[in-house]
Amino acid sequence: MSLPPLRRPAPTRTGFECDRAFVAGQFAAGVAVLVAAIAVASALPRLPWRLVDPALILIGSHPVINALVKALTVTVFVTIHVIFLIWLERKFAGWMQARLGPMHVGWKGALQTIADAVKLLMKEDIIPTRADRVLFVVAPFLTFMPTLLTFMVLPFSETWVAYDFPLGILFVLAVTTNISLGTLAAGWGANNKYSLLGGARACAQVLSYEIPMAVAMLAVVTLEGTMSLTEIVKNQQHGWNIIAHAPVMIPAFLIFMVCGLAELNRTPFDLPEAESELVSGFHTEYSGMRFAFFYLGEFAANFFTAGLAVTLFFGGWMGPWLPAPIWFGIKTIAVVALFMWIKWTVPRLRVDQMMGFCWKLLVPASVVVFCATALWVMVAQP
Amino acid sequence: MTAMQPAVGASTSSDMTINLGPQHPSTHGVLRLMVALDGEYVKSCRPVIGYLHRGLERMMAARPYRQSVPFTDRLDYCASLNSNLAISQAIERIGGMAVPERAQYLRVMLCEMNRIASHLIFFGTYAADIGATTAFLYAFRERERLLDLLEAYTGARLTYNWIRPGGVASDMPEGYAQAVCAFLDGFLKELDAYDTLLTKNPIFRVRTEGVGIISPEKAIAHGASGPVLRGSGVNIDLRRTEPYDAYPRMQFDVPVRTEGDCLARYLVRVEEMRQSARIIRQCLREMPEGEHWGKQPKVFRPAAGEAYSRTESPRGELSIYLVSDGTANPVRVRVRGPSFVHLSMLHELVRGVKVADMIAILGSLDTVLGEVDR
Amino acid sequence: MSGITSFIRGFISILQGMWITLQNLVGRRKITLLYPYQRPDISPRWRGIFYLPYNDEAGRINCVGCTLCAQACPTGVITMTKMGAGKHASVNAFTMDLGRCMFCNLCIEACPFDAIHMSTRFELASLDRGVSLLTIDKLARGGADAVERTKRTIEAALEQEAAAKAAAAAAKAQAAASAQPTEGSGA
Repeated sequence: MSLPPLRRPAPTRTGFECDRAFVAGQFAAGVAVLVAAIAVASALPRLPWRLVDPALILIGSHPVINALVKALTVTVFVTIHVIFLIWLERKFAGWMQARLGPMHVGWKGALQTIADAVKLLMKEDIIPTRADRVLFVVAPFLTFMPTLLTFMVLPFSETWVAYDFPLGILFVLAVTTNISLGTLAAGWGANNKYSLLGGARACAQVLSYEIPMAVAMLAVVTLEGTMSLTEIVKNQQHGWNIIAHAPVMIPAFLIFMVCGLAELNRTPFDLPEAESELVSGFHTEYSGMRFAFFYLGEFAANFFTAGLAVTLFFGGWMGPWLPAPIWFGIKTIAVVALFMWIKWTVPRLRVDQMMGFCWKLLVPASVVVFCATALWVMVAQP
Repeated sequence: MTAMQPAVGASTSSDMTINLGPQHPSTHGVLRLMVALDGEYVKSCRPVIGYLHRGLERMMAARPYRQSVPFTDRLDYCASLNSNLAISQAIERIGGMAVPERAQYLRVMLCEMNRIASHLIFFGTYAADIGATTAFLYAFRERERLLDLLEAYTGARLTYNWIRPGGVASDMPEGYAQAVCAFLDGFLKELDAYDTLLTKNPIFRVRTEGVGIISPEKAIAHGASGPVLRGSGVNIDLRRTEPYDAYPRMQFDVPVRTEGDCLARYLVRVEEMRQSARIIRQCLREMPEGEHWGKQPKVFRPAAGEAYSRTESPRGELSIYLVSDGTANPVRVRVRGPSFVHLSMLHELVRGVKVADMIAILGSLDTVLGEVDR
Repeated sequence: MSGITSFIRGFISILQGMWITLQNLVGRRKITLLYPYQRPDISPRWRGIFYLPYNDEAGRINCVGCTLCAQACPTGVITMTKMGAGKHASVNAFTMDLGRCMFCNLCIEACPFDAIHMSTRFELASLDRGVSLLTIDKLARGGADAVERTKRTIEAALEQEAAAKAAAAAAKAQAAASAQPTEGSGA
């Protein structure tokens, strides 16, 4: 017996249709943000550009081209390493959970992320009918751009740094706080109750954990006497901070790690996107490329936070035999793996416990560590 | 549509009504919770059930007695052998069938294996509710091994239909006892690892300790049973208080905790897995030789009357009530399921707690929607 | 003070938990089965798709069309039409609608002739609902050929029986005829 094929219902207007004007607007927003990034970069003083090739130095000596190349390099680097990191995370989680992780696309699933990115690119662009369209469209860029900007000051080696900002740490603190703006915009703009709760949680969480994180970073600044990230690394020539100044730097590193987990919305602090409570939290309504931008931002922030930890505590690019950027990469991936390891081991905190943990434990502890560091500096370096 | 409105006391403009479910990661099936939220706080919660209603009681009543067993698989699908046992006992009582001794041991063994499988689902999903996804997969890894064993015996992995009126559908395959013992050895070791990973974890403890406290009086008043009741300090286990099959000959402890919170219910279940392993070992050791089927009447027409069987399923008291009018089909089949009873406590337990606690409390009740909706 | 000790104990237990996940990360065997490429080991008792075994010696499938299985089925999966009669009976149509089937094993236990079995095939999913309707050609081991041979065996047996019956009747008639002298029988 053969049955007639199932008829598809006639298409009706659902309110989820692709809005060309808004797609155009989205691209315009993207371009505008990119231009803004270039403008920021080109406004910075000219530096000898030794990133790629001596031949490029000639072209790179022009400030605009210099800035353009740097901006592009950072963007391309972020995109490519995120592809690797997502694969790593999935493999890591899989192996930890006695699974294999992605296996089909490429060697051991190495190209899975690219396949997923292509899938996300081809998906229908959905904006909920009653969403706040401007916020909804802008939010993914608002979360992604600050992360991208932070890469500007991250030193991969003494010379591989887009801009050696003398107040690097201040810049990092100022820029990363803006990430919560994007999550809040996403939570509010989607007009979804889960998103709203997630956005509110994200905002409260990121702003609270910013404080102990900043204080822990200030402890390092006190120790080193500089806010420039390259200077901090150079000062660690005779021993990593975490070893040379272990009594104060180990607690500072632990505080930094915990706050880093919270900033990155990872378990035990993944409340903004708590799956078992809020489905996907602030990005519940996002799909396709907009969702990919959240992912991109999240993993880029992951790499950046790990890189910052390496810079502050583990001697940055320092290391024997291998070239400096490779050392930096190895160390950073190790810290990223530590983040993943914690994420896939522990359960999630409740929202009041999360806030209590920050304000009742981490903030006082960070202040104590800061004072102890000051004492340490007085005692150790008379 | 007033019936669909959540029971909100004094609704203010800051309240937000949110529908958790029927498709939601942590409602464990097709449960819908209409929740009124004040920020993160739950003001009221109203479970909406019936998305899985299939009319199983009526379907069972429309068929000859012995054909109703496969339908009980669909009641509590996490522990379908225990449901098989409940209906089988009811049919045996109404028809006056005897169960051979070996069959009694086989039944107890199968039920306890299924209890472990069911509690592993609870362990895994509860860990996932709290946010620990890795423990979830570890629990399912062990459950997979257990299901392989049950598959070797019954030929099915979820809906077994293997405990029947008058006995068990078949005897064990060859070398089964050794395979079960080997599994139990490895399983108990894994269980210790789970304790380290989850039970001792301070985050897990602060999430569950003192959350969703059920007092013994409240538990009894609502008719709670099983781990929910024993987690509140009431020592009632039908395997002990009204033992059936081979349970009177089994040595096991009934874990009881007095705290009445989510952690107590969790710990009771984890300890029950260890006790189940003990019971299975005893069954395998002491199992007598003999038949796995009792004598079966060819045409089953029990005399007019009624029968009620009470069994201890992994979730609590699973009872089945049968009424016969002397024909081949029962007049009425009624299932008294523990999940339905426990779900009816939810709205009282979650009033005033936070969203995350609500998920933790719902998970700790360990409801299965197949049995709630029937 | 107890706060600090409990904090330390909690910290240590998180480290212990991380040790367990690390062991799984590097040490333990992974349990994933790359399913379409690797097949699971299935118990020989597996309750999968049905088949009607073909009896080579008798040259037929075992089913005699007694409908005991259809009566035992709680969901009315089985329909059949009988062919033949008496000792030489089988089915020329035997249809199982797997869309209704619960794989409860009751039909197999009901069969006194060992005529219906369950195989270890478990892949029931299909894009066409018609596939779940198993006709006798799909159910019988040996397919339409086996069904055809069963039909021929039964027909042959029936013919033989009829012939034997006819012969017996004829013999009887002859015996009766010879016992009773009749006129003009020599013609």
